[in-house]
Amino acid sequence: MLTCKEFDDFMLDYLEGGLPVWQKFMCWMHVKMCRECAYFVQKYRRVITLGKDAFQSPDGMLPDYVPEELVKAALAHRRSK
Amino acid sequence: MAFAPIAVDDVKATDFIGISEPQDIDFGDGELLECLRAGEEKCFETLVRNVGPQVLATAKRYLRSDAEAADCFQDTFLAVFQGIDRFEQRSSLRTWVRRITINQCLMRIRKQVRRKEESIEHLLPAFDEKGHRIENGGISQPSTISESLDSERLRSIVREKIGELPDDYRLVLLLRDIDGYTTSETAAILRIKSNAVKTRLHRARTALKSLLTPVLEQRECHANV
Repeated sequence: MLTCKEFDDFMLDYLEGGLPVWQKFMCWMHVKMCRECAYFVQKYRRVITLGKDAFQSPDGMLPDYVPEELVKAALAHRRSK
Repeated sequence: MAFAPIAVDDVKATDFIGISEPQDIDFGDGELLECLRAGEEKCFETLVRNVGPQVLATAKRYLRSDAEAADCFQDTFLAVFQGIDRFEQRSSLRTWVRRITINQCLMRIRKQVRRKEESIEHLLPAFDEKGHRIENGGISQPSTISESLDSERLRSIVREKIGELPDDYRLVLLLRDIDGYTTSETAAILRIKSNAVKTRLHRARTALKSLLTPVLEQRECHANV
């Protein structure tokens, strides 16, 4: 069986489906047998989701409009070149 | 770890347009593009108003100050206007502008004097001599947030914690997890090897997990009360 450290080395590829079948199986077995790594994977996945969500809300730094002075500055910047 | 050294002038704002990219919203049916190529002021204004929010949001995400984001906004549109004749329509106009925005941000970051960045080793998992995970390894900071977290507050904290990551890790995380570029696209954009992207991404996610764990545990605690 893989050690936790070995599993950690494979983890990214395991979660993204980039491992050959045998290694994938070894990782799957490790997660089934190791409570700490199972918990770690659960939290790791949660963090990926949180990262994506953080920038997708209406207030997630996507303004509905751009301040008028910035629009004007961009147009003026173009004219000046 | 550091960026591969490159001369800023070597990087053109319209680099990377050949990389495959997901389909995106396009508000133009060709008329806008023709109009832009004809150099009509009104069309440039239409473009700025339409994709401006996306450009500004992207610039704020990658750069660490609003003032820099505003400067980047102007430079991005200048690069778009100057490069519009070279736009080959292999992606939507919006996607192309987004690439230019990110490239402009990276040019700015590369120009900056690299600030001394803290190591993230203490945020990475710990293992004993037999390779077993040491429980709670890398987690030590108590949360200072005392109130129950609503979703928007949580999103704000996540953005803040991503901002705390050193640039080498933060940029990979933003490109891969937030902007959805593939490993090879991210490698091309950052001019590093794919394996380096994978290593940095895994470390970035792990470090972010450690930074967020106290917050999440507290949130779950409140939810269970």
